[in-house]
Amino acid sequence: MTGQIVIAPMLVALSTAILALLARFDGRVEKAVSLVGAGGYAVAVAALFDAVVLAPGGPTTLTYGVSDWQAPFGIVLVADALSAFMLALAAPVVVAAAVYSVVSVDERGQRLSYHPLFHFMVLGVSGAFLTGDVFNLFVWFEVMLMSSYVLVLFYSGREHTRAALGYVVLNLLASALMLVAIGGLYATTGTLNMADMARRLADPAAYGVAVAPTLGLGALLLSVFAVKAGTVPFHFWVPSAYRAAPAPVTAVLAGVVKKVGVYAVIRLFFTVFGGAAYASTSTFAYVGPVLMLLAGASIILGGVGAAGREDVDGLLAFSSIGQVGFIVLPLGAAMTVPAATTTLAGAETMLAVLGVTAALVYSLTHALAKPLLFLASGTIRSALGTTDFAQLGGLARRTPLLAGGFLLGSLALVGVPPILGFFGKLLVFRTVAEGIAAGMPAGALAAATMLVGAILTIAYVTRGWNQVFWGEPTERVQQLIPVRWGRSRFAGDGDAGSSSIAPDGGPSTVTDRALVVQVAVVVALALGLVGLGVGAEVVVDAATDAAHAATGTDAYVEAVAPVDPGAEYSPSHAAGAANASDGSHSLDASAAVDGGER
Amino acid sequence: MLETVLAVVFLPFVGAALTPLVYRVLGERTAYYAAAVAAVCLGLVTRLYLTGAHGVAAVEWVPSLGVSLAFYVDGLALLISFLASGVGVLILTYSGGYMHGEPGQAKYYATLLAFMGSMLGVALAGDLFALFTFWELTSLSSFLLIGHYTSEADSQYAARKSMLITVAGGLFMLVGFLLLSWAGDTTLIAGEGSLTANAGGVIETLRTAGLFVPTLLLLAVGAATKSAQVPFHVWLPNAMEAPTPVSAFLHSATMVKAGVYLVGRFRPFFLSETAGGHGAAAAEAAAALVPEWTVVFATLGLVTMTVAAVLAVGSTDIKQLLAYSTASHLGLIVAAFGIANSYGAEGGAFHILNHASFKAALFLVAGIVAHEAGTRRIDRLSGLRHDLPVTAIVAAVASLSMAGVPPFNGFYSKELLFEATYEYAHEIGGLTWAFPVVAVLGSVFTFLYSIKFLSLFLGERDEALGHVHSPPLSMLAPPAVLAVVVGVVSLDPMIAVNAIVGEVYGSTVPGEAHSFTVGLPTALKPAVVMSAVTIGVGALAWPQYDRIHDGVRSALRGPVRADWWYDNAVAGLTALSKRVVPRVQNGLVRTYAAWVLVGASALAVGGYVAAGVELPALAVPAETTVAVSVVLAVAVVGAIAVTDAPSHVAGVLTLSILGFMVAVFYVLADAPDLALTQLTVETLVLVIFLLVLDRLPAWYGETDRLTAVRDAAVAGAVGLTVAGTVLVSTAASPDTIAEGLIARAGLPPGEHVGLFTDYGGGQNIVNVILVDLRAFDTMGEISVVAMAALSVLTLIRMRERGEAQ
Repeated sequence: MTGQIVIAPMLVALSTAILALLARFDGRVEKAVSLVGAGGYAVAVAALFDAVVLAPGGPTTLTYGVSDWQAPFGIVLVADALSAFMLALAAPVVVAAAVYSVVSVDERGQRLSYHPLFHFMVLGVSGAFLTGDVFNLFVWFEVMLMSSYVLVLFYSGREHTRAALGYVVLNLLASALMLVAIGGLYATTGTLNMADMARRLADPAAYGVAVAPTLGLGALLLSVFAVKAGTVPFHFWVPSAYRAAPAPVTAVLAGVVKKVGVYAVIRLFFTVFGGAAYASTSTFAYVGPVLMLLAGASIILGGVGAAGREDVDGLLAFSSIGQVGFIVLPLGAAMTVPAATTTLAGAETMLAVLGVTAALVYSLTHALAKPLLFLASGTIRSALGTTDFAQLGGLARRTPLLAGGFLLGSLALVGVPPILGFFGKLLVFRTVAEGIAAGMPAGALAAATMLVGAILTIAYVTRGWNQVFWGEPTERVQQLIPVRWGRSRFAGDGDAGSSSIAPDGGPSTVTDRALVVQVAVVVALALGLVGLGVGAEVVVDAATDAAHAATGTDAYVEAVAPVDPGAEYSPSHAAGAANASDGSHSLDASAAVDGGER
Repeated sequence: MLETVLAVVFLPFVGAALTPLVYRVLGERTAYYAAAVAAVCLGLVTRLYLTGAHGVAAVEWVPSLGVSLAFYVDGLALLISFLASGVGVLILTYSGGYMHGEPGQAKYYATLLAFMGSMLGVALAGDLFALFTFWELTSLSSFLLIGHYTSEADSQYAARKSMLITVAGGLFMLVGFLLLSWAGDTTLIAGEGSLTANAGGVIETLRTAGLFVPTLLLLAVGAATKSAQVPFHVWLPNAMEAPTPVSAFLHSATMVKAGVYLVGRFRPFFLSETAGGHGAAAAEAAAALVPEWTVVFATLGLVTMTVAAVLAVGSTDIKQLLAYSTASHLGLIVAAFGIANSYGAEGGAFHILNHASFKAALFLVAGIVAHEAGTRRIDRLSGLRHDLPVTAIVAAVASLSMAGVPPFNGFYSKELLFEATYEYAHEIGGLTWAFPVVAVLGSVFTFLYSIKFLSLFLGERDEALGHVHSPPLSMLAPPAVLAVVVGVVSLDPMIAVNAIVGEVYGSTVPGEAHSFTVGLPTALKPAVVMSAVTIGVGALAWPQYDRIHDGVRSALRGPVRADWWYDNAVAGLTALSKRVVPRVQNGLVRTYAAWVLVGASALAVGGYVAAGVELPALAVPAETTVAVSVVLAVAVVGAIAVTDAPSHVAGVLTLSILGFMVAVFYVLADAPDLALTQLTVETLVLVIFLLVLDRLPAWYGETDRLTAVRDAAVAGAVGLTVAGTVLVSTAASPDTIAEGLIARAGLPPGEHVGLFTDYGGGQNIVNVILVDLRAFDTMGEISVVAMAALSVLTLIRMRERGEAQ
């Protein structure tokens, strides 16, 4: 029975999407459905996290066979500590973005298609985190892509359509490559189930698998994940798509959808392909340097790109490219010295565990900080109609809470303690430092890239801050925010609402209450970053559990327990499967009768 | 002890959090509330001092990473804590007068208190990462305080500069810390089981891995950026954009001492080899006469001391002069700590106290001058003693101490530096003779600018100056208190040594040591001669001050200035960004697609090559019929014809030949379901294409030859990669799950119909897969179709709105 909790987040997201579609008759009902759905999603994720990570006796792995088929024949959802961590990373962003959407996205757009699409996107993300099947992963990638595609071109203007075109073309190319790779993997390994694939790669002779092509096929998949994660040179869609999409959509894209690419890299290359051995090389020996190359290029290009932008959204978009580099770097670094060990939580473990932990903690930081910054930018746009530096200035005195939130988010990117970002940076730096100590090739170059990237982060963060929040308020700011927010604007003083002049001179669509909610969301995320930094032990613990799950291929295979198709049937094997329940397609004689009755 | 330390460190943060509320009640008198908080901290530090607290106390923070809020109390920690809280009381009191009528006071006091807490944290931290945490928080509060006048362009420039340099330096230090904690398997700095306690073993591990020098250099970058050592000193003069109390507090007495503190804190660790007795590495290091530590820090410190003193002579603004002077004196302390003998440690320890006392006093004097006379320009100020008599006395005491004139306290510590450099050179010989020479040279310039500062109060009053007000008591008392401290230490330096400086010295030497003696020289030692030379040459050069000043200013052009490098780097970065981005993101989807496809192909091919994949031999399967060959040949011809199509419509039509041939191929290969699907899709796509093409321009213009060649190469590479992928992956014959499924059901191979009727409830294998085995995939794809419909709706209905935006 416990297995059913695995599918709960997906069911909530799917039901919410469908209900929101049905509730289009009334905008308020639809918004309520969307908000309740987002809250329900968070609850479902929390329940799953509780069942998986906080299980008595330590983190466990739960599986759920969809349509009641057993692995590897049908599609199995697998929730281990890694999947649970990623879902827990997504949930707060989803809730924040949903709340923010309701008060920021164009009313007519919300009625039209916004909420169903938003929750379909959440469905795609959750499916990608939970599925234990390579082809099914492709399907959830498609769901994610299609919904986000529409959301990127949501306002359907010239630049939105143009951005969406680049986005969809590159991602469709990636989908095509993914199909080629998955088809190839099925042809070479004979399975689509991840656990089964891992088992077959670790012991290819037993299954008649010729293992050699899987390295190239895996590398093809890696390029697909790199497109999703937006690392150089697969990043081209990022800047324009992030600028075109409505702020809460960008928040989810940058905060969560990007992390799906990161997750897929971890899942496939540590859990599934990690155990494969080739004639003169190994998965890690080939993929490690590749990842470091992608990461280094991303860190530098993202940092340099962000340093000269003249608008907040552009700065944040390039920053995302650089930050993903920081997430990928420790993965590559740990792979290049597979024999190295480290001490984590008082126990000696593989450096790979530290590398994955680093990537996960950094991902969580980025998943909170970047949405915060994009939403703050969205609020600036709501109030002032632009995020161009030339039109902004002096906002620190006019919007102190928003400024405070923005500052904390920026500092999280820099890695200033005690914000969570510090621990992300600490772990990434530590992985590289210990990699160097263990004789990592080109270690000095990696360290230099990492430090230069960190300095670039400080450079663009401070530049953005000076341009937007310090300096003299521009004419536009003086006109639209004549007094400090919170003085009279939020106090319900109607006359102070003279700021309700839209940029084009017409009445603004944004209400005071909407701005209060927007700022509250930003502040909540900022407090979350600080709170999780002070209570970093919880985060590091969960990330370490997830990293152990990611690198523990054997435990993963054992938990999913794919039936061995070649082996003779034995009842005890089937009984050992986590999802063996009554009426399961367990393919023994009695089940055949049950199946016939269906 | 733990409770007291926690209270000392966190009380200021609590005070800072409450400041906005307090400000609503007290208004401008919030200054005295903040001063009271600082006074409580001072009291708690005194309590720690009086109870003789010593050692480590810790609360857990992130045990998984071994990071704890460990605190370590010793002489050095207590001295810095006294400075942070004691000067804090004075500065906050002074602010009450200085900040009268200024904007943003609640934020100002909150940030100052938070800074004070961070500084106390730096001083007391006993864990590498706790130290780093507070270290970065001081940088952050410094950023906010330098940018206090938020609308001034100079403040923004200065704040960003300080943040870039100090936070970046901190990150270098962090990497150094990580290497230390890796080698030592602990994050504790001092005390039992710490890095310092096991220095021998830790250093040996680092040396074996070839990481000893990198670690030392990484820490040096951290210390040098924070303590404004050359060439990272550039941020400090700009930091004077902050209100003067901030300059006095952060940028002279406390925050900039953090780097010096770090040097003192790690001195016992890095010099443990010279203290003897830790295995082979120690013997090896002892054989090398000058330890790396001395090479790095004595050089860094002496260069900074001299260069910054010269720059101070070239200054035109009193705060700028004091800023360079601060860098110079921090260089003195770093140099003293750098020299591997006991005089060095004594000099460094003593000068921390002396410099804080006279320099904070001088900054407050500068604040009074700027506030009351309305200018900070050196050439406009003179004869101030007529208007500001008490201030003049304070200035005299403090600047003579800064000059190193006996018997003022600055003299004693400088004398110790001279002694250290001389003794060291005498012992080692060779190049180390440069140490005493440079030390004297730097001190001559120090003498000159100190006298210049003093001269502002001497001579005739400049009538152009206008009316000079008297400062309020709240602004006068704090510098007076500091001048009294200078006076007392000057009269009997042993009071300070016995009270705390001796313990500080003990903290900065490896092994056991507790105190030392210092006093006016009674014999003609080399150091005395050095002092005499300094003062003598200084006095001789004084009449030429203006010429030296002009000479320095005219020499400071272009790349000679470290600022030139900073400004060009920052401006260059922005320019580079503006050049690079349009080139990379050129807006052409074609370029992007080429990168993605080529990148993916390169990764895949690289994988095949690395794993040693062999292409299967190409042979025509025996079962190939004429029909299949013809169909495939037509498909190939169609594909080639697409590239030569004269128009879009022709191209689409030719392309569809390929699609339909594939459908026919499916028919021939006994796959009617696939064939039907393919036919439907192909037809629909063709129709939609033609409809869309009707609305598009028929011709986009000629492509040039180079582009055509490039596109052909990309297309060829991608095509070959995909073809190769298909070849190598279809050559395999693993036990597939489909076969396994059939075998498991106990059916003979090929006889799978029964399986799918029994298990899937359907006759058609494809249907059963789609709606049962892999129904979840189908559900996902159905949502994709639904979303596609929504996207059409959105595109059409939102268009007018989007265009309007």
